[in-house]
Amino acid sequence: MIDKHEETPIYEQNLEHTKNFWYADWSFPVIVGLMSAGVFAGTSMYFNYGTGAFNEVAFVAMLKAGMTGGSYGAAAAFGASFLFARVLEGSLDGILDLGGSILTGVGLGIPAILLSMGVKAPIQNFFLAILTGMLIGLIIGGIIYSIRHVTLKQSQSTFGADIMMGAGNDTGRFLGPLIILSAAQASIPIGIGAIIGSAIFYLWKKPIAGGAIIGAMVMGLFFPIKL
Amino acid sequence: MQFITILFESLIVGALVGFPVGVGAARMFNAPTVQALGAFRTLGEMNATEGDPLSHFSFGLGFFFNAWASTVAAGSFTQDVTHRVIPNWAAALLMIKNHDEKAMHDAKKMGIASAIIGAILVAFLNLTSTSLPHSLQVTAVKVLVPAATLLINTVMPVIFWLAAIDAGKRSGMFGTIFGGLAQLIMGNAVPGVVLGILVGKGVDESGWNKITRSILIATITLFILSGFFRGFDVMMLKQLNIGVPDWIISLHKVIGG
Repeated sequence: MIDKHEETPIYEQNLEHTKNFWYADWSFPVIVGLMSAGVFAGTSMYFNYGTGAFNEVAFVAMLKAGMTGGSYGAAAAFGASFLFARVLEGSLDGILDLGGSILTGVGLGIPAILLSMGVKAPIQNFFLAILTGMLIGLIIGGIIYSIRHVTLKQSQSTFGADIMMGAGNDTGRFLGPLIILSAAQASIPIGIGAIIGSAIFYLWKKPIAGGAIIGAMVMGLFFPIKL
Repeated sequence: MQFITILFESLIVGALVGFPVGVGAARMFNAPTVQALGAFRTLGEMNATEGDPLSHFSFGLGFFFNAWASTVAAGSFTQDVTHRVIPNWAAALLMIKNHDEKAMHDAKKMGIASAIIGAILVAFLNLTSTSLPHSLQVTAVKVLVPAATLLINTVMPVIFWLAAIDAGKRSGMFGTIFGGLAQLIMGNAVPGVVLGILVGKGVDESGWNKITRSILIATITLFILSGFFRGFDVMMLKQLNIGVPDWIISLHKVIGG
């Protein structure tokens, strides 16, 4: 009983919180809108200058595959299904996963869908990209707001999002060794560089993919290869 | 000229992303009462380093180097920029003054600090990445593209497939069927396996209800539509040595698939 008395003020404080912009549910779509605008514009920069995508190398490579003449199918379906799963889950447990929904869904999936349909303008034009991203984010935030207020948290399912995230993280681990393999095939000095770099990163307890890339590039500077 | 454009665009992108990262992270400390935007790992890690600006900063720094390497090599920031570097550096910035851990639960302060850090960080990453010597970029492409191709076409489908099989009979079943079909129709099994896990685990955890049924119908519709627009139906009939009926050809002509 004593505990309950102590908890009451905290609960009231939370209610107080939920009224103003910084903690209210109604401002959530605005926050998602800003986030999506930035991430979508980041993808636009990647499309135009080859840098600026807010995602893992392995995921961005799917978009790159489409940009260099291949199919956008993998990036589109991967991003869209992540977005779908995360929006459902996010409205149920109160935390919308940034990585799956915005970075992968809005940053990769939606641009890939647009590009595969031949719609280039919202990605090529920086300011149009900000507007497009903002609109998408407002819609996503609005959907979550309404699910939260309509369903009253009936469903407890995460739709296997944890399994997908686990598999996604496992994939990232493969990248290190794979980079060393392809560095070794590029040239002998670059291969040696990748081995040394990844060994140092391993000792330093950092993901070896980073070390392998840096080592390969340092050797590539002294022993250049042709594309 | 391009330097100025990239600087200008980077500052906008960084501030746009930074602000909601900070607000979303601060709101996580009040979830599920307040709808937040972030990641569970961010929440856990920020709690673990709570109160000490130096440990927030050095935690972010470790991931910063990784993000930098990845940006320089492939133009991708890694998800760590939004999950770890920006929120932890913003928390460190807020706590330099008075070591008050309440500062990182304050959505307003975190939003502003994260916007500033985001703008500087994104500009730094993009500018260093685009001003690299040509020979370095060639090496990066030569090394990364084959590795990424292997990863996407072979490693990812296998890992997701095994994860689907390990997750239970339903997700294994749907994952196998949809994964195989996705490889045939879209050229990559990952989307199919992911949708299989989605349907399978959804049914496992909440049964056949309105949501799971509509997911299954949406998935099947997606397969039918993308199969049609990629001309999969025509190709399949040809390879099965069955003639393609005229009405299918005219349907393709009418819709333009």
